[in-house]
Amino acid sequence: MAEVFVPAIKTADVPPNGMAVVDVKGTRIAIADVQGTYYAFDDECTHEQCSLAEGDLAGTTVTCMCHGAEFDVRTGAVIAPPAVVPIRVYRTRVDGDALHIEV
Amino acid sequence: MAAHVVIGASLTGASAAIALREQSVDAVVTLIGAEDGVPYERPPLSKGYLRGAVPLEKLMVRPPQFYSTQSIELMLGSRVTRVDSGRRIVHIADGKRVPYDTLLIATGVHNRRANLPGVDLEGVHSLRDVRDADRLRAEMRPGRKAVVVGMGFIGSEVAASLRHEGLEVTCIDPGKAPLGRILGEAVGATLATLHESYGVRTIFNDSVAAVEGGRRVEAVATKAGTRIPCEIVVLGVGVEPTVDFLDGSGVHVDNGVVVDQFCATNVPGIYAAGDVANHYHPVFGRHIRVEHWQNAMRQGAGAAPNMLGERVPYDEVPWFWSDQYDANIQYAGFHTSYDELVVRGQLNGASYAAFYMTGGLIDAVVGLNNAKDVRRTMPLIKARRPVDPDRLRDDKVDLRSLLDKG
Repeated sequence: MAEVFVPAIKTADVPPNGMAVVDVKGTRIAIADVQGTYYAFDDECTHEQCSLAEGDLAGTTVTCMCHGAEFDVRTGAVIAPPAVVPIRVYRTRVDGDALHIEV
Repeated sequence: MAAHVVIGASLTGASAAIALREQSVDAVVTLIGAEDGVPYERPPLSKGYLRGAVPLEKLMVRPPQFYSTQSIELMLGSRVTRVDSGRRIVHIADGKRVPYDTLLIATGVHNRRANLPGVDLEGVHSLRDVRDADRLRAEMRPGRKAVVVGMGFIGSEVAASLRHEGLEVTCIDPGKAPLGRILGEAVGATLATLHESYGVRTIFNDSVAAVEGGRRVEAVATKAGTRIPCEIVVLGVGVEPTVDFLDGSGVHVDNGVVVDQFCATNVPGIYAAGDVANHYHPVFGRHIRVEHWQNAMRQGAGAAPNMLGERVPYDEVPWFWSDQYDANIQYAGFHTSYDELVVRGQLNGASYAAFYMTGGLIDAVVGLNNAKDVRRTMPLIKARRPVDPDRLRDDKVDLRSLLDKG
């Protein structure tokens, strides 16, 4: 199935060095701004389904507030348990004032 | 090739074995466990696993085949009877002997036996391993009456799980509130309200005199004279470090196995980590013994480099969570007393953080539905710098900003 870039959010609506969450085709996707670079990944923590966008972002690491799992927002890799399964990440592209996500 | 032996095929033991393998490709790593299955995590036993919502596979630290592919030798169903620290040999109950160069004690704790009439009746449970959880699970049916004795973390979580499954639950605790001894009465009272709001009957300042029944439990009688009819009793009356096999080894035992900041005991080549270890924590400047998941995992892994000849202190700030009903309770740090409890938010509200402070320093923090502030407090605890209580109280202050004001 061909994946396509779809507009997800205005870049101005992502807090600087913070996170926002969008609903794209029924999937909650978190957007992180890391020094002006945008990363998109599944908002649900793979441990107990808490919202990662409600967590803390430090550099490229997002920490889930429920149980402390940490993920690399660039690759989705688990940095710290209790999560074991990586989060899915999506490619992003800025087009004008809009951020597009490949889904 | 050095032989590293770990006693206790638990989260601590498995984390240590995995770290030993990662840090030394040619080491011989052996993991000895008294239980029959591969290492698993215990927190879900009182929550998701007990309710049938989480399968056993999800609890495993690693899938069963992981250990053979990583050349970690598993000796399961093997109870250690003795450690000969002179010859460096571990003795197993079935007669096997396992030589070691370094040894990690990760045997954890076992449930304290309640010294009460009737505790051997059918329907009386305690909870430590997966078989205990299976036995209790098999008796949980909506409408049945259960009495939970002791409202520590296990008792509190079991009460919430039983209620979730539709049982009628009464809790008894000798203190004034759930977890009152650990968290203090003011915080404990908020947890009592939580249980009561979900329909749990709570009895404080009282304890069990006897469990009554013929073959099977029929009631619990309290010292104050209350009789509570029930079909199930769950005892959560505390734990003791599992150290009996160390008799004669020369290893210093005092509230668990006493270790320094490197997880080393007084006997060369022998280390300890996890629930069993009374560890000198460099942040708090004292020995502390922590019985929680994060310490089990991280301290197990933290012992590994020291077993391989390095000198790396273990200094992570202890942290744990407890999910009860729809509430998430988190605690970070370590305290046994405090001069001031600083509250951020309202203790009678839906969420708060409360800081246990002594001498202007935060020793610990507890949060109800406020994991973010608990996590953001951890660097403040570790920094051991005075923090202005008024800034902590002000919930418009981002706790991360307090770290920069050193």
